[in-house]
Amino acid sequence: MRKIFPAEELARDSRFIRQTNEQRMGDPRGARIAGGNTSGNLAKLTPDLPNGPDRARALMHGIFVGEIQALEGAGRTCWDFELGDEVPLALKLDMARQCWDEARHCEISVSLAEHMGTELGEYAENALLYEAACNPDPVLRLTGVNRALEGLAIDVFNTMKEFGNMAGDPVLEFCEDWMLADEVTHVKMGSDWLRRLTENDKDRLDKALEFQKVVDRLFSFNGFRGEDDDSPIQLTRRFRELAGFSDEEIDEIADMSRDARFEATA
Amino acid sequence: MNFELQQHAAWIAERASMTDTKRPREPFAPWDRRSLPGLFDVDETAKRIGHYKWVEIKLFEALGGWVATVPELDIKLRLGTHCYHHAWHAELFDKRLPELREMQTERLTIPPNDHMVEFFEAMTEPEAAHLTIEKLVGVYRVLIPHKIAAYTYHRNGTSEITDMPTIRILDFILQDEFSDWREGEMLIQSMIESPEELERAMSHQTKLEKIMLAAGGIVGPGSIGDPYAEVVEEN
Repeated sequence: MRKIFPAEELARDSRFIRQTNEQRMGDPRGARIAGGNTSGNLAKLTPDLPNGPDRARALMHGIFVGEIQALEGAGRTCWDFELGDEVPLALKLDMARQCWDEARHCEISVSLAEHMGTELGEYAENALLYEAACNPDPVLRLTGVNRALEGLAIDVFNTMKEFGNMAGDPVLEFCEDWMLADEVTHVKMGSDWLRRLTENDKDRLDKALEFQKVVDRLFSFNGFRGEDDDSPIQLTRRFRELAGFSDEEIDEIADMSRDARFEATA
Repeated sequence: MNFELQQHAAWIAERASMTDTKRPREPFAPWDRRSLPGLFDVDETAKRIGHYKWVEIKLFEALGGWVATVPELDIKLRLGTHCYHHAWHAELFDKRLPELREMQTERLTIPPNDHMVEFFEAMTEPEAAHLTIEKLVGVYRVLIPHKIAAYTYHRNGTSEITDMPTIRILDFILQDEFSDWREGEMLIQSMIESPEELERAMSHQTKLEKIMLAAGGIVGPGSIGDPYAEVVEEN
């Protein structure tokens, strides 16, 4: 088995349809489902929106495929790096634990998707998350995945938990709350390893934080995730603080989202 | 209540209120048949545990790596779950080593011989998406049964008093191993649907078993002891 497994070869059954990010952004059918996610007509995800339930179903399917890729990414971090030379055992143990957590998240989210009336493969999958997990530097990989993407998962799960509460769906609210707890743990792992592995390497720390910004920017497109009242996915300060984010870092993500929104509407 | 019963009740009450704290008891209860002797001294135990840890690390790394290469959704999720089980075993063994006077735990985290290295290279060779049967056979029909055998031999042979911490660890681990073995075997059975697939499974198992045979088990020769009696030849 090779080290570094390419995203285009991720193994899937026939139900899964792969789509590049460019294809996804350029797909005019997306607006029908994603109406409210785009810059011209942003709206927080609530059950009251005319397309609220559809958006929630699409998001849940996105969560499911994201969890598969998060599982695959954490698994590859167990395999891709040499013990001692590249990473300590404790880091790999954390990644193995994350594998188990992500496997449970797959089970939860595929069950919730079914609960919400969605079929597996109803929406396309893009491999952006796993691509971040292919970075050959373990510090950059962990920062991109565990801080940027798992950080986004905190925001998404909290939004879905609120959606469940507003919709009077205790199953959705209950499950999202459990997954949210795991995600805070994963982001904290990322914060802790970033600090430990770059303790005496400022240059590597800067590169890792820059990589995190690149990934964060990708998921802030059009102001999709932010602190404004109409941001579809709400930035969650409290849980991010628990996971090791400083106020300045959270401010930066909020600013990034506002800039992305401004750029999209300019 | 008749007179005799009344007397008996009074006697019980008196005994209960006057427990004799000076009355001697044996250090081992009558039902506790544990004994001091064991097959392994401290150094041998540390050596074996170092090999176990190496095997568990290699296994969880492989399971993690394979997740992305397996298209079957249920198997993908099981591999992710089992990956953590073996990582936890490695962690338990890692924590035991300093208790056995090995402070540089990496020193003993090594394969027992080159054949074991060869075994893992052969076991982790399958990568393509259509080779799920081979991936599962290597782990669940070859490696895990050999792990169960070696761990059981150790668990049953070590001193039940001096080395109880190792027994406790092995008991937890064996619980996982048996349950993962069963799940893995069921996944293999569910994957084999034709004589050709059965042939593939058997052929891969034989290939790996031969290397394991050369290795002598997961900790080398003596992994499960020696069952043969020594016979002194008379001249």
